[in-house]
Amino acid sequence: MNFARNLFAAAGLATLLAAPSAQADDDTIKVGILHSLSGTMAISETTLKDAMLMLIAEQNAKGGLLGKKLEPVVVDPASNWPLFAEKARELISQDHVAAVFGCWTSVSRKSVLPVFKELDSILFYPVQYEGQESERNVFYTGAAPNQQAIPAVDYLMSKDGGSVKRWVLEGTDYVYPRTTNKILEAYLLSKGVSPDDIMINYTPFGFSDWQTEVSKIKAFGSAGKKTAVVSTVNGDANVPFYKELGNQGVKAEDIPVVAFSVGEEELAGLDPKPLVGHLAAWNYFESIDTPENKAFIDAWHKFTGNDKRVTNDPMEAAYIGFNMWVKAVEKAGTTDPDKVIAALPGTQAPNLTGGMSEMLPNHHITKPVYIGEIQDNGQFDVVWQTKGLIPGEPWSPYLPESKDLVSDWVKLNCGNYDKVKNTCLGATN
Amino acid sequence: MRFLLRAALVLLALVGGTAAGAADFGALVAALPAGSYSDRAKVVDDLAQSGDPRALAVLNALAADDLKVMPDGTVVIVDDKGAAKAAVDGTDKGTPAADQLDRVKVNNAVRRAVRTAIGVLTLRDPDPAKRLAAAREALRAADPDQIDAVDSALAAETDPAVKALLAEARAAAVLKSDAPAADQLAAIKLLAARGDDAAIAALAPLAGAQNPEIAQAVKSALASIAETQRLWGLAQNVWFGLSLGSVLLLAAVGLAITFGVMGVINMAHGELVMLGAYSTFAVQQVIRLHAPGLFDWSLVIAAPVAFVVAGAVGVAIERGIVRHLYGRPLETLLATWGVSLILQQAVRTIFGPDNREVGNPGWMSGAFTLGQLQITWNRLWILIFALAVFAVLLAVLKRTPIGLQMRAVTQNRAMAANMGIRTGRVDALTFGLGAGIAGLAGVALSQIDNVSPNLGQGYIVDSFMVVVFGGAGNIWGTLAGAFSLGVANKFLEPFAGAVLGKILILVGIILFIQKRPRGLFAVKGRSVEA
Amino acid sequence: MLIDRRLGIFLAGLFVLVVVVPAGNLWLAGQPVPTYLVALIGKYLCYALLAVALDLVWGFCGILSLGHGAFFALGGYAMGMYLMREIGDRGVYANPTLPDFMVFIGWKQLPWYWWGFDHFWFAASMVLLVPGALAFVFGWFTFRSRVAGVYLSIITQAMTYALMLAFFRNEMGFGGNNGLTDFKDVLGYDLGGGGTKVGLMVLSAVALAAGLLLARAITVSRLGKVLVCLRDAESRTRFLGYRVEHYKLFIFTVSAMMAGVAGALYVPQVGIINPSEFSPANSIEIVIWVALGGRGTLVGAALGAILVALAKTLLTGWLPEVWLFALGAMFVLVTIGLPTGVLGALEGGLARTRRAPEPAEREA
Repeated sequence: MNFARNLFAAAGLATLLAAPSAQADDDTIKVGILHSLSGTMAISETTLKDAMLMLIAEQNAKGGLLGKKLEPVVVDPASNWPLFAEKARELISQDHVAAVFGCWTSVSRKSVLPVFKELDSILFYPVQYEGQESERNVFYTGAAPNQQAIPAVDYLMSKDGGSVKRWVLEGTDYVYPRTTNKILEAYLLSKGVSPDDIMINYTPFGFSDWQTEVSKIKAFGSAGKKTAVVSTVNGDANVPFYKELGNQGVKAEDIPVVAFSVGEEELAGLDPKPLVGHLAAWNYFESIDTPENKAFIDAWHKFTGNDKRVTNDPMEAAYIGFNMWVKAVEKAGTTDPDKVIAALPGTQAPNLTGGMSEMLPNHHITKPVYIGEIQDNGQFDVVWQTKGLIPGEPWSPYLPESKDLVSDWVKLNCGNYDKVKNTCLGATN
Repeated sequence: MRFLLRAALVLLALVGGTAAGAADFGALVAALPAGSYSDRAKVVDDLAQSGDPRALAVLNALAADDLKVMPDGTVVIVDDKGAAKAAVDGTDKGTPAADQLDRVKVNNAVRRAVRTAIGVLTLRDPDPAKRLAAAREALRAADPDQIDAVDSALAAETDPAVKALLAEARAAAVLKSDAPAADQLAAIKLLAARGDDAAIAALAPLAGAQNPEIAQAVKSALASIAETQRLWGLAQNVWFGLSLGSVLLLAAVGLAITFGVMGVINMAHGELVMLGAYSTFAVQQVIRLHAPGLFDWSLVIAAPVAFVVAGAVGVAIERGIVRHLYGRPLETLLATWGVSLILQQAVRTIFGPDNREVGNPGWMSGAFTLGQLQITWNRLWILIFALAVFAVLLAVLKRTPIGLQMRAVTQNRAMAANMGIRTGRVDALTFGLGAGIAGLAGVALSQIDNVSPNLGQGYIVDSFMVVVFGGAGNIWGTLAGAFSLGVANKFLEPFAGAVLGKILILVGIILFIQKRPRGLFAVKGRSVEA
Repeated sequence: MLIDRRLGIFLAGLFVLVVVVPAGNLWLAGQPVPTYLVALIGKYLCYALLAVALDLVWGFCGILSLGHGAFFALGGYAMGMYLMREIGDRGVYANPTLPDFMVFIGWKQLPWYWWGFDHFWFAASMVLLVPGALAFVFGWFTFRSRVAGVYLSIITQAMTYALMLAFFRNEMGFGGNNGLTDFKDVLGYDLGGGGTKVGLMVLSAVALAAGLLLARAITVSRLGKVLVCLRDAESRTRFLGYRVEHYKLFIFTVSAMMAGVAGALYVPQVGIINPSEFSPANSIEIVIWVALGGRGTLVGAALGAILVALAKTLLTGWLPEVWLFALGAMFVLVTIGLPTGVLGALEGGLARTRRAPEPAEREA
C-alpha cells in the first residue's frame, strides 16, 4: 500500500510539473519573460517585465502576429542564477514559448546559455554588457563596450568634456566592470595616458559605506590635473555612492563622474540636486525629444497608470529587440527558432531616438551613443552624441585575447572566428 | 546645435571684436547661445573680463538654467514666474510660453567657467561670505591673468579669513605665471603652510620645474604636506570608522534586544529596519504634498512614526508568532524568516520594487572641515542619533519599571510570573521596543543608503555579527562591538581594499570567538547555561 | 534497526523514481517524463542530500550550522573545476589549458590550485577532501574552544559569508561573480544529452540513499547515542568522560563531506556554480528545509528539502508576482502548526487513524 502511495505521489508530481504543456494552445504564440521579480535584481528587472507586457499588449492591439495573439508567460527566477536556468528550461520545454526576453546580470545570461543552446531557442538580452561573447541563440540589444564606454571616455578627453588627463575607474567587483575597465585601461594607455594617472578600484556588491573610497577619489583628483571618474558601480551601490559624493562636495565641474549603470530609474531614488552635471553614457535618454519617444513614454504612463514612471535605456533595448523579433517572425512566416534566427540579421527596427537600428550578423545591433548630464529634475541633458549609429562589437580590439576574433553568424556561421588563424574557435551551430 | 548657422555669423563678428580688445557686452550676450560648449565657456570668460556690471546677473541666470533664447534670437532671463526680461538691457518681454524658448545649454565646462567668472566678479562683493567663496574659487582656478584683480581685492580686503585665502589664491596664480624665482619661492612657502589638497593641486605641476631651486622647494613642500596629510588621514580613518560603527550600532541595537536579550533569532530584523526607512519616505511624501515648509523637520517627524510602525509590526509578530515558540528558540528563525519574506514582498507590492527617494534636509547635507578633517553633516548627525538612541534605551532598561520587568522576565520567566508580572505583556513590549528601535535605524539609514525592499538584507548579517561579537545579552557589548568593528574595518580598507578588508574582519570575528566564546562582554552567571 | 519503516518507505520511493524516470524519459514512447522534469528531480535530490547532511549535525548533535551552504558550494566548485578543464580547447578563446575566464582576466598560467583537476579521480577526491578539511579545521578550533549555541551558528555564518566575498573576487581565480559555467561534458558524456541527465539523476538518487543509510547507521550506532546525549546535555556528557569535541568534530566533518557530494552532483545538473551559493540566505534556507520536514528524522529533512524546492518551482511559475507571500506564510504556518515538521505531522496523523478512528464528524 505504501508502495502504491509513493507511486501515486510520484505520478501526481509528474502531472503537476508537466501540467502547463497540456494546456498548450495553438491559437496563441507564447512569449517568455524571464526577469527577476524578487530578490536583489527585482529593483531593475521588474520594470523590464512591465515594459515587455506593454509591448505585447500593443502588438496584440495591432492584431497580433501571424494572425495569432501573443501570450506572455511570466516567471520569477528570483535573482537566483541556477533558478534562471531552471525557469528558462521550463519556459522553452514546458510552455513552448517562441522566444524569451530576459536576463539582466551577466551571470544570469551565462547560466541560461547552455539551456538555449541545448533546446535551440531564442533569447533577447536587453542590457549593456561586457562583450566577449556571441552566441547563435542570443541577440544582444543592449550596448557592447564600444557603444558605451569608449565614446564616453572620448568625450571626456575632448575639449568640451573638460580635457580630462587623470582617470579613476571605479567599479563593482564582477565581470562587467572588470572587462570594461580592462578595455578602457588599454584604450587610455593607447591614447598616451600615463599609468600613474589611472587608478582602478573595486568594491563589493551592495557596498554602502563609501566614505573611504570617495575621499580616495578626492585625493587622487587633487594632483593638479583634470580628473574624471568612470563608474561601473552596480545598481544598488550607486545610491550611497552618489549620496556620499554629494555630501563630500565632489562637484561635477571639478571631478565629473560618468556612469554606465545609472539611468533615469536609478536617479529616481536620489535627490539629483547635488549631482547636477555628473554624466551617464547610454544609447537612449528619456529626455530625447523625438515623436517615437514621446509616444513610447505616453504609452508607458498609460500602461502603468503612473505618469511619474520613468523610461530608461534597457527598456528601449527591449523595445528594439521585441520589434526586431516581430519583424523577423513576419519575414520568416513562422516562429520556428532556426528560421527566425536566420531571418533576424539584417532586420531593421526603429529605435526611440529617431534612428533605425539594425541587427548585425554578429547578433548585436547598431545604436547611437549619447552622453547626458544629470539635471536637477532627475533627467539627463544630452551634451554629446555620436554621428550616426555605432555597430556593436562583441570582441574588443583593445584586448590581446580578443583582438583577432570576429563574429559572423551569416557568412561564417561562427561567433568567435579567428581572423589570423582563419578558423572558427568553436562557437558555431 | 540648432543655432549653429545663425551663431557662426555672430561668432565671427565677436572673434574680431575681442581681438580688438573692445568686446561689446551686447554682442557677448548675443553670442552666448552659439557654438560648442567650449565656445560658450570662452564667451563666459570674456563676459567676466568685460567688467560690465550687468554680467553677474547674466552669469547667475546661466548657472541656474534661467537664460533662454526667444524665437527672434533675443537672449532673455526668465524668472520663477516665467516673466522674461532681455538679458542686455532688462526690457520686459512678457511671459512667453515655455516651448517658445530655447535653453542656453550648459555642461560642466561651461559651468566651471561660469563659477570662475562669478568668482572674479564677486571678489569685491560687499558680502564677506561671497568674497570668501570668490577667493576659494580664485584659488581653485588660479590664473595668472587674475593676479591684478586679486591684488586690488587684497588691498581693499578687511576680513582676515578672506585675506588669507586671497593671499593663497594669489600664490597659486603666481606659481602659474612667469614671476621671478623669489616670488615663486615665497608662494611655495605660503601654500606649503596651507597643506591641503588645494595646495597640492597648485604645487604638483611644478615638481618638474626647470629651476632646480624651485623644483627642490616644491618637492620638500609636497613631502611636508604628505606628512601632515598622513596624520590627518589617521584621524580621518578614525572618524570614518566611528561613522561606520554608528551605522552598525543603529542596525544592531534593536537586535541586541530581540536576539541578545530575548533570545529570538529574529531574521525579520532587517525588514523592520526597512519599514522604518519606508515610513520616512511616506512621511516625506505627505510633507511634500501638504506642507513643503516642514521638509527640514521631516526626519524629526518621521522618527516617532517609524518607531511606532516598526514597533507595532514587532508586537504583532510577537503576539502572532513568536509567542507560540518560546522554548523552541531555533524555530523562531524559521518563522521570522517567513515573516521577512512576507514583509519584503508586501513592501514591494505596495511601494514598487525600485528605490524610493528620501531627501536629505538642509541640515543633513554637505560637510564642514575641522582642520583637514572633512566631516559630513549626515554622518555626524547619525553618530549623535545612534548614541542618543543607545542612551535612551539604556535608561529605559535600567531606570524604568517596565525596564525592570523586562530584565526580570528575560532572566527568570517563572519567578517573574510568580511575582505578578504579566510576562506575556512584557514579552510583547520588549519585542516591540527592539522592533521600534530597528525602525529608528531605518530613519537614519534612509539618509545614506537605498530605500528599497532589499534594504534590510544588507544589514542583517552584519547586525548578527555585531551582537555576537559584543556578546549577546549585553547592550554595552553591542556598543563596543559596533564601534570596534567599524574602526577596524576602516583601517583595513585603505590597505586591503574594501572586499578583502571585510573578509579579514569576518575571519577576525571567527578567531575572536575562539578566544572568547561568548563575545566581548560575556554574560556570566547561571542564566548563561539556561 | 538500520532501516526502520519511514526510511524503508522513502528508499522504496527513491527506487521507484530510479526505475520510472529513466523508463519514462528514455524508453517509453511519447516520453511521458520530459527531460525538464528529470533535471528538476535531480536537483531536488541534491538538495535532499544536503538537508540530510545538515540534519545529521543539527538534529542529532545540536550544532545549528548556518554555513552548510559553504560545504555544498565547495564540493560544487571542485566538480566545476573538473568540468571546466574538461571543456579543453572548446572554450571561446580555444585555449587548451586555461578556462575562458582566466584568459579573460589576462592570466597566462594555470594557478597551482587548479592542478590535477583535469583528472576526474582527483576532482572527486577533492569533492570530499576540501569541504572535509575546512570542516575539520573549523571544527577543531571551534569545538575545542567550546563555542556553542548561537555563537557557533553566527560564526558558521561568518565563515560562509567570508567565503562568498572571497569567491566573488576575480583575483581568486574561480571566475568571480560569474563562477564556473558553460560546461560541455562529464567523463566524455555530453551534459546536454538526455541519457547523461538521467544518469546524473539516478546517481543523485543513489547518493541520497547512501547518504541516508550512512547517516542512519551513524545515528543508530553507539556513537549516535553519544551524539544525542551530548545534544541534550553537553556538560553532563563531558562529565561522564566523553570527549565531546571529538564526537562533534567527527560528525561535523562527515556532514560537510556529504554536503560536498551533494554540491558536486548538483553542479553538472544545473550547469553553473557561482559564489551566490555561499550566501548566508542559502544556508538559512537549508535549515528551513530541515525544520520544515522534521528535525532529527533524516527522512523528514530530505522530504522538507524536496517540498520547499517543489513549492518554489511551482509558485515562481504560477504566482510570479506574489509567490513570496505564499512561501513566507508556509514557513510561518508550518512552524506554528506543525512543531514536529511535516513528517512528524504525517506520522502523527497516521498513528492516530490507526490507533483510534477519529470520532465521526460532529453535526454542524
